[in-house]
Amino acid sequence: MLLDFDKLGGVRTLLIALVALVCLFLILPIVFIAALSFGSSQWLIFPPPSWTFKWYQDLFADPRWLYSALTSLKIAAIVTVLSVVIGFLAALGLDRGRFAGRDLLRALFLTPMILPVVVLAVALYALFLKLGLAGTTIAFVIAHLLIALPFSIISIGNALEGFDRSIEDAAILCGANPWEARLRVTVPAISHGIFGAAVFSFLASWDEVVLAIFMASPTLQTLPVKIWTTLRQDLTPVIAAASTLLIAFTILLMIVAALFRKGRKA
Amino acid sequence: MTQPFLSINGIRKNYGNVTAVKNVSMDIAQGEFMTFLGPSGSGKSTTLYILAGFQDPSGGDILLNGQSLLSTPSHKRNIGMVFQRYTLFPHLTVGENVAFPLRIRRRPQAEIAERVKAALKLVRLEGFEDRMPALMSGGQQQRVALARALVYNPPVLLMDEPLSALDKKLREEIQFEIRRIHQETGVTILYVTHDQEEALRLSDRIAVFSQGEIDQIGTGPELYSNPATRFVAGFIGDSNFLDATVVTSNAGKAKLALGDGAVVEGVPLHGPSAASSRASLMLRPERLSLSRVSVPSGIAVTVRDITFLGNNVEVSTATPAGVDLAVRLPFGHEAISSLARGEQAWLTFDTASAHAFA
Amino acid sequence: MAVTVVTGAVKTKRGATLGYLLPALLLIALFFIVPVLMLLMRSVLEPEVGLQNYKALLGSTTYLRVFLNTFLVAGVVTLVSIVVGYPVAWLLAIMPQKWSRIVLAIIILSMWTNLLARTYAWMVLLQRTGVINKTLMGLGLIDTPLALVNNLVGVTIGMTYIMLPFVILPLMGVIRTIDPAILRAAALCGAGKMQCFLRVLLPLSLPGIAAGALMVFVMSLGYFVTPALLGGTSNMMLAELVAQFVQSLVNWGMGGAAALVLLVVTLALYAVQLRYFNPARGT
Ligand SMILES: Nc1ncnc2c1ncn2[C@@H]1O[C@H](COP(=O)(O)OP(=O)(O)O)[C@@H](O)[C@H]1O
Ligand SMILES: [Mg+2]
Repeated sequence: MLLDFDKLGGVRTLLIALVALVCLFLILPIVFIAALSFGSSQWLIFPPPSWTFKWYQDLFADPRWLYSALTSLKIAAIVTVLSVVIGFLAALGLDRGRFAGRDLLRALFLTPMILPVVVLAVALYALFLKLGLAGTTIAFVIAHLLIALPFSIISIGNALEGFDRSIEDAAILCGANPWEARLRVTVPAISHGIFGAAVFSFLASWDEVVLAIFMASPTLQTLPVKIWTTLRQDLTPVIAAASTLLIAFTILLMIVAALFRKGRKA
Repeated sequence: MTQPFLSINGIRKNYGNVTAVKNVSMDIAQGEFMTFLGPSGSGKSTTLYILAGFQDPSGGDILLNGQSLLSTPSHKRNIGMVFQRYTLFPHLTVGENVAFPLRIRRRPQAEIAERVKAALKLVRLEGFEDRMPALMSGGQQQRVALARALVYNPPVLLMDEPLSALDKKLREEIQFEIRRIHQETGVTILYVTHDQEEALRLSDRIAVFSQGEIDQIGTGPELYSNPATRFVAGFIGDSNFLDATVVTSNAGKAKLALGDGAVVEGVPLHGPSAASSRASLMLRPERLSLSRVSVPSGIAVTVRDITFLGNNVEVSTATPAGVDLAVRLPFGHEAISSLARGEQAWLTFDTASAHAFA
Repeated sequence: MAVTVVTGAVKTKRGATLGYLLPALLLIALFFIVPVLMLLMRSVLEPEVGLQNYKALLGSTTYLRVFLNTFLVAGVVTLVSIVVGYPVAWLLAIMPQKWSRIVLAIIILSMWTNLLARTYAWMVLLQRTGVINKTLMGLGLIDTPLALVNNLVGVTIGMTYIMLPFVILPLMGVIRTIDPAILRAAALCGAGKMQCFLRVLLPLSLPGIAAGALMVFVMSLGYFVTPALLGGTSNMMLAELVAQFVQSLVNWGMGGAAALVLLVVTLALYAVQLRYFNPARGT
């Protein structure tokens, strides 16, 4: 009975109340930030005395914000492409290979995702200092790629697992060489996995803070680094404006993902 | 002697220390429908995959028109194949699926359209060009797969249990279609199945696989009336087996002593035949006669059960030693009118139609 | 099953497969294994060969405080996340889809929103003059503002906010796999609601709870951003300590040692997770 929604009795009211509270807890900070970004109070008084676009104007007036956003975008785009390609190859190798230590290798590929990022950040920072790569785009890309790759391997690996390999074999007998068969048949058939890999890789790079803090130089900063350094100084409402734009971006991404899922079902 | 169309010469395949295929050889004529029949794990698919080039054999060779195929990669072998599972490309329409091999071969657009149409007509799916595979039944999908495998006119078509996922009625329907298509196109077909009825219905010849080897190759009637091994006898058609001892044997005919003292003469004996060695006597249920009065050299049995099977009646009997023997008689046969369980009866048979395996 | 279905028939030669794995392998080896090992080496090589860094780390009350803070925050965050998250997951698993969709959208939105944006929101909400303090004072519940930020309270609130989705989503999956008929049967056997919960539902969801708790605990241990922004300078957590050694103190020896401690604890818990709660192995 406890798993029948209509038969829960009094427990149901209690649970519904709790879920409503948790939803408020989860959504309120986001709504609140969006509201404050239009508020006129420098000190983030709520409710704001009046409404304004000032913080957005400030945001766009400072070229460093735009520049860091472009840097983020560039790095995330490169990371996404590399992560999907390398992740596809690795997932293919793990899926098709029959060799001892395959599970161990898969676990190794996923470790950068579960280890504390700060350890990886510090270790890479030391290495890049030695190699003279600290503060370069290459350093950013490599660092972000390390944590994006596990998402690709998982997402594409799951899709490959659900893909019947005989379909690729059939394409080969139809005359396609193995890579032609993969690109023309396997890749389209697992496109949902590849799309997932791309979205998660992009987000992993776009949102990455800890690695970015260590990879950044005064002249090369991603958006999260810019927010971080600004936040350490004060809680200016400009950050609320930047955050609101990021939230809008997230919602857009969710809608695209939902549409994609719907399109695949139809 | 003319050169065979397709020749499989001593194919072997080992996986580590597992031998999947031991020593498979056969010649197949152009246009022949050859079926590999055998239980699961007997090496049928492995042999087929070697033909397709998906596996390299550990030994042996495959010749098509006298040319070895082994050094040609799968995609250049120009062989057609229909798989056990549905293998239509999920993101392409039925028409695009069938066009795929021609697109790969860079045929002109007009030719593609025409041949796709003809291939779909062949499998009776005209007008389904724009359908997505996911919206089709299993039977339809396999017919599209067949069209895709035939559209480029391959000399050889491989089919690996293509109907095993379908229900019985649909299976019979498509078996009929496959026969028709074989006759219309004249393509050489190598067909794998573990279903003897399917094999008998479709094939010109059947190769019976057992534990990675071929026990016998022949037409259905040959395998049925003249099985070379006990395995073939047991796998094709229904059969009873009775333990016996070889008394004497001469020119492939043996005199056998059965357990309860009965002695039969002139039974074809397969395998090594030393006197007083043990042998297995195979009796087809429909070749047994049942008598309700004692007959000399008849096998004494007790009636256990009588089952009505439509046009036949199956009488289950048991020897005093407890060996079950099934007898199949036409419905309304006088020997079984008012036959009751527990009754005593005697079974006789024509010794020339029985087989003994040493 | 006795039948071996031969799948994937194309010969993939061993060399070819390894070729596919090579780019990922190179990346992981050169930029993950090598630098982490180099960092750990420095913990025993700098400033001189020996274990002095570990002695300093484990022998000082300052650093022990950091360990204590870390485990305390991770423990409380885990506990609260499970206690709050379990009922939410429960209702989410059985509620009509048109409602659960909305709740799920909210959870995913909060999860996908930029970490810094979320943390910033809490910094603003929790500050002395923030909405929470103002509301509580307006309601007459408190006279002076509470110190909700720049201490472990703020860190705990902020991290619970981040971890809740990571508990709710997997737990919902686990509860969905429980057959409602089992609970109907329990009720027919005469068990009351409380007994049904304690003796049937809870034990059946326990593997999911344990796996979720372990995951949140491990993630919390190594968290850096939220403690750094919502915590005070006097209440550091382990990840901050690692960063501080390297960034402000440029003491690679101590940084490496602290990183090793964090790494060992994480890997040990991860091993427990793999050993006992590996979803791939089933239950
Ligand atoms: N890739 C493989 N690795 C190891 N053993 C295999 C492999 N493929 C097939 N086998 C073994 O080879 C034998 C024959 O298999 P198969 O040709 O699929 O039989 P069938 O198609 O007659 O059912 C089986 O015992 C199977 O377990
Ligand atoms: Mg098979």
